[in-house]
This record gives sequence, C-alpha cells and structure tokens, in this order.
Amino acid sequence: MFLRQSGIHHASYSADRALFPIPFDRWAVAVLLAFGLAAPWLVSSLTLSTYLLPWIVWTTAALGLNLILGWAGQFHFGYAAIMGIGAYATVHGTRHGIPFEIAIVLGGLTAAAIGVVFSFTALRVKGLYLALSTLALQFCMDWVISHVPAISGGTQATLQAPPLKILGQGVSSETGYYYLALAWCLLVTVFMLNLKRSSLGRALVAVREKDFAAAVIGVNSFYYKLVAFATSSFIGGVTGAVLIFSFYHAVTPEQFAVNVSIEVLAMVIVGGLASIIGSFFGAAFILLMPGLMNALITWVSARLGLGLSVETLAHLPHAVYGALIIAFLLVEPMGLGKLYNNVRNYLLVWPFGYTRK
Amino acid sequence: MTQANDGAAAGPVLECVDVERRFGGLAALSGIHMHVNRGEIFGLVGPNGSGKTTLTNAITGFYPPQKGSIRFGGRDITGTPPHRVAGMGIARTFQNLALFNGMTVLDNILLGRHIHMRPSVLRTALYWWMARAEETRHRAAVEEVIDFMQLQSVRSELVDGIPIGMKKRVELARALVAEPTFLILDEPMAGMNQEEKEYMARFILDARDERGVTVLMIEHHMDVITGICDRVMVLSYGESIGTGVPSEVIADPRVIKAYLGSAHGAH
Repeated sequence: MFLRQSGIHHASYSADRALFPIPFDRWAVAVLLAFGLAAPWLVSSLTLSTYLLPWIVWTTAALGLNLILGWAGQFHFGYAAIMGIGAYATVHGTRHGIPFEIAIVLGGLTAAAIGVVFSFTALRVKGLYLALSTLALQFCMDWVISHVPAISGGTQATLQAPPLKILGQGVSSETGYYYLALAWCLLVTVFMLNLKRSSLGRALVAVREKDFAAAVIGVNSFYYKLVAFATSSFIGGVTGAVLIFSFYHAVTPEQFAVNVSIEVLAMVIVGGLASIIGSFFGAAFILLMPGLMNALITWVSARLGLGLSVETLAHLPHAVYGALIIAFLLVEPMGLGKLYNNVRNYLLVWPFGYTRK
Repeated sequence: MTQANDGAAAGPVLECVDVERRFGGLAALSGIHMHVNRGEIFGLVGPNGSGKTTLTNAITGFYPPQKGSIRFGGRDITGTPPHRVAGMGIARTFQNLALFNGMTVLDNILLGRHIHMRPSVLRTALYWWMARAEETRHRAAVEEVIDFMQLQSVRSELVDGIPIGMKKRVELARALVAEPTFLILDEPMAGMNQEEKEYMARFILDARDERGVTVLMIEHHMDVITGICDRVMVLSYGESIGTGVPSEVIADPRVIKAYLGSAHGAH
C-alpha cells in the first residue's frame, strides 16, 4: 500500500545506502520531525515537560548504551554512573564559569576518559564477568561521588545546576529545555543511523558476533571495544548533563544509582538490541508504562466497582507491568524494534506475503 | 602482489621452519618444514587430529608456535597477532564457517574490506562528507567479487538464512575481497554435494588464475586434492610424512598407513 519497495530502483551505490530508501519512511520521518519541532505548541507544557522531554533524554541514553551493548555486544551495568560523571563534570564546569557549550563537551570527554581507563582493565574479561566488573564501576562511582565532598558538595548534598545559558542566551523555558534535549537526541540518532551503514558499525558487529573471525579479517577487537566504550561513554556523559540541565536542574548521587543503570538496560533490551527505533520504543515503554498502567487499573477498578484495596491498587500495576515486559520478550525476544520491523516487513509486501518466505 | 613478493617471483611466499606447537604435553605440531611457492595451490591433508588446522592457526597467529619460525613474503611473522597477519595480505576461511550472523551477505563481504578502510567515529558522524565516497568505492570492489562468486541472488539476504553451500561461498568472497596475496582455506568443501564441490573448485582455480592468489588448502576429498592441488603435504600426529605431487604422495605406503591404518598397510 503506502509502504512498498516495488518501483524503487537504485542507480548508484550511495542511493542504495540512503538512510530511508522507501518514500513512506521518508514521509514518516518528516512528519515525526515536524511534530517533534512543533511539539511545544501542540501539547500542553505539562505533557511536554513530564512525558516528552524525559522520553527524549532517556531515549538518547538508551541509544548510547545500545552502542556498546547492541552493536559491540559488551555488557555494561554501569551506564548510569557514566551519565553521572558527565553530569557532575558539566555542573562543576559551569559553576566555575565555563560556558555551558564547552562544559558539556568537557563533561562528555570526562565520562569517555574514565570509561576508557576503566574498560582498559574491564575488557580483559568477557561476558558475565565484564557485566560484573561494570557493576563494580557503578558502585565505585556511587561511592566516590557521595564520599568526596569536592564532587558531590557534601554528604546527602544536592548540587544546584547554574541557570542554562546557550550562546550567551539565557534558556529558562520548558520549550528551551525541550529543544536542547531534542537537538542532542537528533544528533545521536543520526550518528547511530550512520553507524549502521559505516565501516565502524560493521567492525563493531564483527566484534560482537565472533571476535576470532573479526581478527581474521583484520579487525583489532580490543581497539574497537575501546572505541565503542569511549563513544558510548561520551554519549552517556553528555546525556547525563542534558538530563540535569533540562530536567532535574540539580544533581544528586541517587539520580545515577544502580537502579537507573538497570532501567536504561531494560529500555535497551525491551526496545531491542542494535535497534534504533527500538530504543525509542523501549524508553517510552519503561518510562510511561508504569504511569499508564496505574491510571488504567485505577480507572477499570472504579468503572467496574471492583473495590480493590489501596495496597492492591499500588502493587497490581507493577505486576502487570512486569508481566507485560515478559510477554513482549516472549513474543519477540529481539524487542519492540523487531516487532515493529515484523509489521513493517509484512506491510512492505502486503497483500503478496508469499513473496517473502 | 605486494612489494615484498615482487622480488622473489620463483621463491617461496610462505615458509615454515621447524615449527612446533604444544598444548600441555601434547605436541600438536613438531618439526614442520613447509614452503609454499607463489601461485601454487598447496594441499594440506591428514587424518583427524593430525595438526592441519593447528598449522593454519600457527600461521595466522591464533596459536603462535613455541619453536621454529614462520616467514611470509620474506618477513618473519612468527607470533604476529591475527589482525596484523590479515593486514599483511593473508586471508583465511574456517572449517565451521565464521560469518557474522545478523548481517546481510553484502555487509559480511564489505567487512572483508576492513583492512583497506579507515573506520572512525568522526567519519561515521560526518558520513556524508567523510565516509560516503569511501563506502561507495569499496562497494564497487565488493560487487566485483559478488559477481565473481555468483552471489547476486543472496546479496541482501541475512547470512543466517542462506544454505550452507552459499555460506561457504560468502566466506570465500569475504576472504577474496580483502585482495589477499595468500589464501588459507580450511576444508572449503566440507558438507558439500558433488555439484557444489565442483563450483567451489572452479572458484579456487579462478581465484589463483585471475586474481593471482596463492592458496593453502586443507581438504579431505582426495578427488579435489588430486584435481586442483599442485603440491600436497601429509600430516600425521603433528609430523609431516610426505610432501610432493598429489598422485605420488597419496600412493606412498606411509600415507596409506596413516590414513587407513596399519592392518591394511601390512599386506
């Protein structure tokens, strides 16, 4: 119907490698982009700041983690710590008078540097052992941040982020914050799209799939794992800073604790490893589903007069939410992104499904 | 092809001198002397566990030999890590296929161009300005090999989903696209039917004749060995028991004994 491949002929190799070769996809992206840009006028400011903004920021974080987990195939249980390093470095930088644009890059670089130094040792082990050593990074960072007053501002302290200024202009509206987050999200998304079709992306997948086969075609696994760690840490660090400056406006160690790491990990896995659109879905699912479930169950119980107790009402949404995650992963272990792709592949040839096996 | 090889047209491309590799107390290889001349198709045969794959792993740097040396194109490559060996122009395929699942056939073969490409974060970020021209150039080289190996029909399929015979061809294509001067094939025809074997033999001969690749090939099919190999070396329990023209070597009583057992060789 609208989504179809027939009649699309590429006359050059670069056209064959275009980001969105199918017209329907191009239109969909254009419409979504227009919506994203016009969102401050289309949705209420409450929706913008409590749903759209966090969704975009966490999607960016999920994309960053997906780079290391989905593409390079290396476990990372300490991604929140990496985001925290970037956030703290940026906040300290701006508090010392460094302009925000430079401070945030420095924040990202700090996260990348610590990430690389750490992965130098961590990457000597693989699989579950790597997962555990990244968890160690998380706990080390938690401890260092909360026990070094120079970083956290003291035990139990909340470090206020200075007012956001971009290119000398003060930004203090929800719209401004939203655009900051959106701009960073778009940059990272475009980078990941390019990664999919570039030699770097292929080398990372080679390392993920079979490192001995990667070596045989000349890929230095260790080097590319380091590159993946550094890049993903940079994205994480900047995202952490964006999260603070656009959403929290103050930084505390709990914002980047281990449960946050697990949450980002859940976004990536539920969304789908190495799936870009999946990271968008995954972040939406993990962020919004608990609230939606809560509202839905309260509504249903009121509507049907079930008379559920307050405790049941508090716990049931969590149970259903957990069950939903399991259900989705049972239906499609490769996540929501793959689910979307299945539907898309079906529609691509509809109604001539037999042309695809 | 490379400058190192140009000088020694007639001399050996690859030389193994007194190579020994042990795993604990087991000598997987001992006292191996072997040389492969440029433009040759050199067969490596022997019963299971005789050290054929270990020898290729010693050459490609996976299991560096504990004793002896390996020279390639006049350079000592003993103990060089695998990814560096690949950069010197040695490509190989594996007995049990080592393709990258989850990628298309095209991307798998494109990965073979890795040593000629310059992947970086910056180039990826600025794809349109810094990577597109490079990708297109290498794609052209890949398409040439896709034509050569007749893989057009599966180009955009996921590599997990194609038949084994095709997978073997994709793996050979990935090795060839790196423009190696030396190609190591570990049982390229394992699990193939007669027709697929003939296809593969033709591809190997063409690779040598048209692309100037020297081939070291492990193979169990004697018809293939006698059919396309110029010389062959027989391994048994990690030792070389004969090198020479295939028809003569496989007639050697020691070789028959190694393959078929002493009871048969006794009468």
